[in-house]
Amino acid sequence: MIGTKPYDFMVKYTPQRDWIEGHGILIAFALFFGGIAGGLYLVSLYFDSLLGMFIAWILAMVTGLTDMAHLSKPTRFWRMMLKPRTSWISRGFIFIWLFLGVAAIQLAITYWTDGTAIETVFKVLGGIMAFGVAIYSGFVVGYVGAIKLWNSAIVPILFVVAGVAGGLALLMVISVGESFLSADVAIALRAVLIGYAVCLAIYLWVATYESTVARDSAMRILKGNIAPVFWLLVVLLGIIVPIIMLFTADSTAVFIISGILIIIGGVALRYSILKAGVYSPLVPTD
Amino acid sequence: MRWGMVIEQKRCIGCNACVLACKAEHFLPPNILWNRVLISETGKYPAVNKLIYNIRCNQCAEPKCVDVCPTGATRQREDGIVIIDENECVGCRYCMIACPYQARSFYEDGDAEYFPGQGLTEHEKIGKTLYPHEVGVVQKCNFCKERIDEGLAKGLKPGVDRDATPACVISCPTQAMHFGDLDDPNSEINRLIKEKKGKPFHPEYDTKPSIYYID
Repeated sequence: MIGTKPYDFMVKYTPQRDWIEGHGILIAFALFFGGIAGGLYLVSLYFDSLLGMFIAWILAMVTGLTDMAHLSKPTRFWRMMLKPRTSWISRGFIFIWLFLGVAAIQLAITYWTDGTAIETVFKVLGGIMAFGVAIYSGFVVGYVGAIKLWNSAIVPILFVVAGVAGGLALLMVISVGESFLSADVAIALRAVLIGYAVCLAIYLWVATYESTVARDSAMRILKGNIAPVFWLLVVLLGIIVPIIMLFTADSTAVFIISGILIIIGGVALRYSILKAGVYSPLVPTD
Repeated sequence: MRWGMVIEQKRCIGCNACVLACKAEHFLPPNILWNRVLISETGKYPAVNKLIYNIRCNQCAEPKCVDVCPTGATRQREDGIVIIDENECVGCRYCMIACPYQARSFYEDGDAEYFPGQGLTEHEKIGKTLYPHEVGVVQKCNFCKERIDEGLAKGLKPGVDRDATPACVISCPTQAMHFGDLDDPNSEINRLIKEKKGKPFHPEYDTKPSIYYID
């Protein structure tokens, strides 16, 4: 473990570094893109925005490319689909590829032959795959029993809610030309942001009494070295300011600024959770 | 057959001979360790207790690393040894994240020298030919599977005959480490586990390690 003093390694709380430092930062972006791609597609289906669905498709491709960019052997990427029976990365990669295929067909059908039964079938299939893309990253993280902060059933829910919030934010930004749609999305976004805040609060609250190592991780987020990122980007700019803005005004500028802030908060959320992951010491010490 | 190890903690003096033996046996590059000696202290003077734990991959019977590996590069042999196929690993490092014992290393810098700027030593040059490590993949202890496989082919018994026993075990000057078959009720390691109430390291992770520790 680069950066860890040999006499500290697994004798004290040892932070995970592989998925956050150097090349590992790409994982935070992959988790973010996966969430927002799935979330955007789902909300675009609800609000019937073809542009939103198309951007979700692009973002799903970016998710796959970011995952592959993190690999040290990217030319072997196809091997990542070989273990869906037990590996959440494998399942997620399959979800991404299936989503890309199904959503591409759906987009073409919707563009050329809108309103057919086959379009509905592909929208349903695309929605299922999009949900898989949005939630798999939560399970990738939540499955890791060695890191108690991550090993929580709330993580997949939190990541999906954050993904839907990001999706709504992006849809609100890209549909500013259609003021009635932006306004409808903004109303939905207010409710989702409040739900997102509640999920986040419950997650961290549970972590503080789940185990001593999970509590240590939660304290790193709330009071430690990650606190500035968490309180400023995730909570203040990513949740509180957009909620206030969306409740007090409904101008184009408000939609664009609050949307961008929510998206930045979404990236910061994944960063904070990955950065706070620590391993329990193997050897007892005072 | 399931290969396992017993480590007598009272005998371990923390000399790191096992660490160096492993380094030499597998020609491990700089910054890569397949086994470690963890040392900590508890209590306050004069009632201080020094704890020495000799750790490596536990070759768990229910390994998390095998579950999470998306490619199948990490897998378990019939004899229980968890191996990594360097040609199948994509370097996602999920196995490193998932291992509660943090027993895995990522080989990142293929140009690293033990004496930076001085060029490779003869030992390093030989290692790159005899035991090449692929850059950009994960690696870990494999219980010296080459020694076991070659020893068995010669009719030797791992844990009894030196040539078929892991390098760390035979290098221990205090004989704190024992190797053998966990499935053989008459093996020395099973006797030690029974007599001295051997316990795996952190059984709460529920991975069923093949390494037991006794006082």
